[in-house]
Amino acid sequence: MKAVILAAGEGARMGPFTASVPKVMIPVGNRPIVEYAVRALVESGVRDILMMIGYRRERIQSYFQDGKAFGARITYVAEPKQLGTAHTVRQAKPSLDDRFLVLNGSSLIDRQFVGDLLDHADAPAVLIKESDRPQEYGVVTLRGRNVVGITERPREVLSNLINTGAYVLDPSIFDLIDRQAEEGHHDLPSVLSEWAKTTAITAVESNGTWVDARYPWDLLRLNETALQTIQDVRAGTIEKGVTIHGRVTVGEGCVIRSGAYLQGPLSLGPGCEIGANAVLLPSTSLGKNVRIGPLTTIVNSILMDDANVGPSSVVADSVLGSGVVARAGLLAASGPADVSIEGEYHAVRQIGALIGEDSELGNGVSVDCGTVVNERARVSSGARLRGTVPAGAVVH
Amino acid sequence: MCGIIGYSGQRNALPILLDGLKRLEYRGYDSAGVAIVGSGLQVAKDKGFIANLEGQLPAMQGTTGLAHTRWATHGAPSKVNAHPHTDCTGKIALAHNGIIENFASLREKLESEGHVFKTETDTESLVHLIESFYRGDLEDAVRKALHEVRGSYAIAVVHADEPEKVVGARNESPLVIGLAPDENFLASDVAGLLKYTDKVLYVMDKEMVVLTPERAVIKDLEGNVIHREPERITWTLEDAEKGGFEHFMIKEIHETPKAIHETLLGRLANLEVNGFLAENFTSVKLVACGTSYHAALVGKYIFEEIAHIPASAELASEYRYTQGAAERPLVILISQSGETADTLGATREAKRRGCKTLGICNVIGSSLSREADKTIYTRAGVEIGVAATKTFVAQLIVLYLIALRMGLDRGTLGYEEADRLKDELRSLPRAVLAVLNKEAEIQSLAATYGTDARDAYYLGRHVNYPVAMEGALKLKEISYIHAEAYAAGELKHGPLALITKDTPVIAIAVDDPTYEKMRSNIGEVNARGARILGVGTDGDKELPKFVDDLITVPRMSWIFSPVPVSVALMLFAYHVARLRGCSIDKPRNLAKSVTVE
Repeated sequence: MKAVILAAGEGARMGPFTASVPKVMIPVGNRPIVEYAVRALVESGVRDILMMIGYRRERIQSYFQDGKAFGARITYVAEPKQLGTAHTVRQAKPSLDDRFLVLNGSSLIDRQFVGDLLDHADAPAVLIKESDRPQEYGVVTLRGRNVVGITERPREVLSNLINTGAYVLDPSIFDLIDRQAEEGHHDLPSVLSEWAKTTAITAVESNGTWVDARYPWDLLRLNETALQTIQDVRAGTIEKGVTIHGRVTVGEGCVIRSGAYLQGPLSLGPGCEIGANAVLLPSTSLGKNVRIGPLTTIVNSILMDDANVGPSSVVADSVLGSGVVARAGLLAASGPADVSIEGEYHAVRQIGALIGEDSELGNGVSVDCGTVVNERARVSSGARLRGTVPAGAVVH
Repeated sequence: MCGIIGYSGQRNALPILLDGLKRLEYRGYDSAGVAIVGSGLQVAKDKGFIANLEGQLPAMQGTTGLAHTRWATHGAPSKVNAHPHTDCTGKIALAHNGIIENFASLREKLESEGHVFKTETDTESLVHLIESFYRGDLEDAVRKALHEVRGSYAIAVVHADEPEKVVGARNESPLVIGLAPDENFLASDVAGLLKYTDKVLYVMDKEMVVLTPERAVIKDLEGNVIHREPERITWTLEDAEKGGFEHFMIKEIHETPKAIHETLLGRLANLEVNGFLAENFTSVKLVACGTSYHAALVGKYIFEEIAHIPASAELASEYRYTQGAAERPLVILISQSGETADTLGATREAKRRGCKTLGICNVIGSSLSREADKTIYTRAGVEIGVAATKTFVAQLIVLYLIALRMGLDRGTLGYEEADRLKDELRSLPRAVLAVLNKEAEIQSLAATYGTDARDAYYLGRHVNYPVAMEGALKLKEISYIHAEAYAAGELKHGPLALITKDTPVIAIAVDDPTYEKMRSNIGEVNARGARILGVGTDGDKELPKFVDDLITVPRMSWIFSPVPVSVALMLFAYHVARLRGCSIDKPRNLAKSVTVE
């Protein structure tokens, strides 16, 4: 059986973190989000993967290549314009002549999730999950075990069962997709609601892992989930007097200086340098060549490749993009905040700073909870940041 | 250069040899051939790509054989000049990579003894020489022949009367043995045998090997057995496939950020580069060929700026034949493959002059890594496209690292300054990403500038002058447009006369110490009506007034600007060649690494 992974979208709601990579390539637990789907498929015996790519597609191709390194056979279908999920799946028609799986590349899933789908792969199916925020997703209404319809972000919540965007489909759906497209419907939930009128679509509730990434703070939940399965690995140089508790991956070429305190789960990519007496607390991922200054504390955060946080800093519940440089004394503490993304405000219970790639912060910068600093901003020493800092801005 | 593959085992040799040849095709591809020992010796060869040969092969049965892919040095590419070559009896077949220097005198002597030559190649003299020594023992005949030969070689030889046996030998051309149960392999490059085994034995200079299905025995040219432990290869053939990209070249350009990361890994924190930390050099000499030479030229600026040590760059093919100065510089030799013949020659020459040698190469276990006193590897991964891309950038990264280390050791670079430079090195993968994200824009510029151009001029100054040279080389190599690079200060000394409204000019004017001067040079070119593509810095508001089109790279210290600028020029050259329908991964007349002088 072939699987189609939807990986073409930009992910504009991810704030600064999709400036140079598509959403599915944002790292959580030091792997791109979509890698978890690829691995879950391969572990379940599905090796033929069609990757639907569009925005910044070269990042995906460079990473997965032909898929052999992951035990898969990956072919790519480029979609120049993304109209909707149904339109995307339609592009794969020439390669699909039998029943196939559809997975969303921007959700963290595991083997059990894919297994639940495969158990019902003899007929069309939708994988559903209970949610405590159903109004933010597509709510699935059922008759018995069969789907009646999918309502996106309903005003009136009739059920707490939501669509995970994982499906078993067969090629008979392509004609319907074309007809629905003529009426201006390009998304799979609309097409499926229409299909349900004539075809039995089974709703399968999954007990597997499914964490959807839609907003930057979701990345912290994905990261925490991903780190639950990491390996205990010790590579690089760990100086005398370093304390390590719990499961911690230390990549090749890392240098961890004396007095550092590491509490797992943590993942340190290759080439990281952890300064003397630094404290790393769960659940934190550091990418490649990340540098943490002495006496700095990092809690429940993602620091992507080449980020550099100077001495005596505090970073909590934060996401720092690749190449963010903060000199000494960065204060990015955590708390409840209303965060503005794409002009909409979202109440977030626990959030620190969201800093885009290659932003540079001087000494003693203080960042209020929920601040979004877009990519390549320059912030002078002593500044206090709140709200949203535009891309490339210079802040005095 | 050429590629050789040999097989002795239980299976039908032909498919294995052809598959191996395809893996080696990047080493040269103007002709190819195979020889199989089954019921007698059968040879088939033709000019052109291996696919040509494969299409018209007779059925060849046998479990021993050798094959060859050739890049002509002596004799035109043709069917008759293709390897393998055979002797007068038609019983011995030989494939050879390298050059037999005394082939003319050997040929004269052999012809006077009655041998009949069929080709114009240097190699044929060797096969007749082996024939003249053959008394029923191929190994002995090859050994005696090699004693009379001067030059470089990696060879594989079979004899119709000695089935199951392949004799190989090496001097200054690469040769590696692959070991598997009940079958053994011989190849110019690990890529040729990786599909069948990851257990290899490297053959060294002036050594022979006798290959049978059961064993591979290495001996010196006196016949003494040499014991050597096999090594395991950890990279896989997967590394060598295209993964959804149209060409290897564009795939490899997109791998540049990864190549930078890998090359920096674990080397930044303590700057542990395998250099000569304790030595006190008064100067640095960088020696290389082709693209690596351009990296060396950039290296001159890197060493002078970061380590404040006098540095100069020289072509390996020139350095070898010039007089050394009285002082003894650290000689840094740069070669992607580590097999470039002139660079290896220069290494020996540098050592002869009493200099310490430091190699920079991308291939572990390459000849350069064995010849140079110390080696620092670029970790760019396999590069298949003939035009060097990511490996050029990785070479620059290693040069930055060495210069940083030297600056700190010499006390010419402060710790804070070093930290700042390290931060910038860390930011380079994303500076390159920013350029890669402009690919669509560069592609449309390639259509504007490259579709009809017959000539193109690249202008640069200071550290970006060699980058302009590299940009021009890329364009020449793959799009066949005549391209030249000039130091912009030299414009008025000649090249300005060549510039008309029909000659596109690519001018690098990033934020470096010569920016103002460069801008006025662009003005001079502008006055001649040429269409100008500028490469500038993000946010530069002045430059757009002087150029017709502009590609920008992120702002950074000028010493690092060659990294993003060179990537922009690679993308430009790639898209020009692609639009012109050129054979990008295998340009005509060029080979990936040049193992002949």
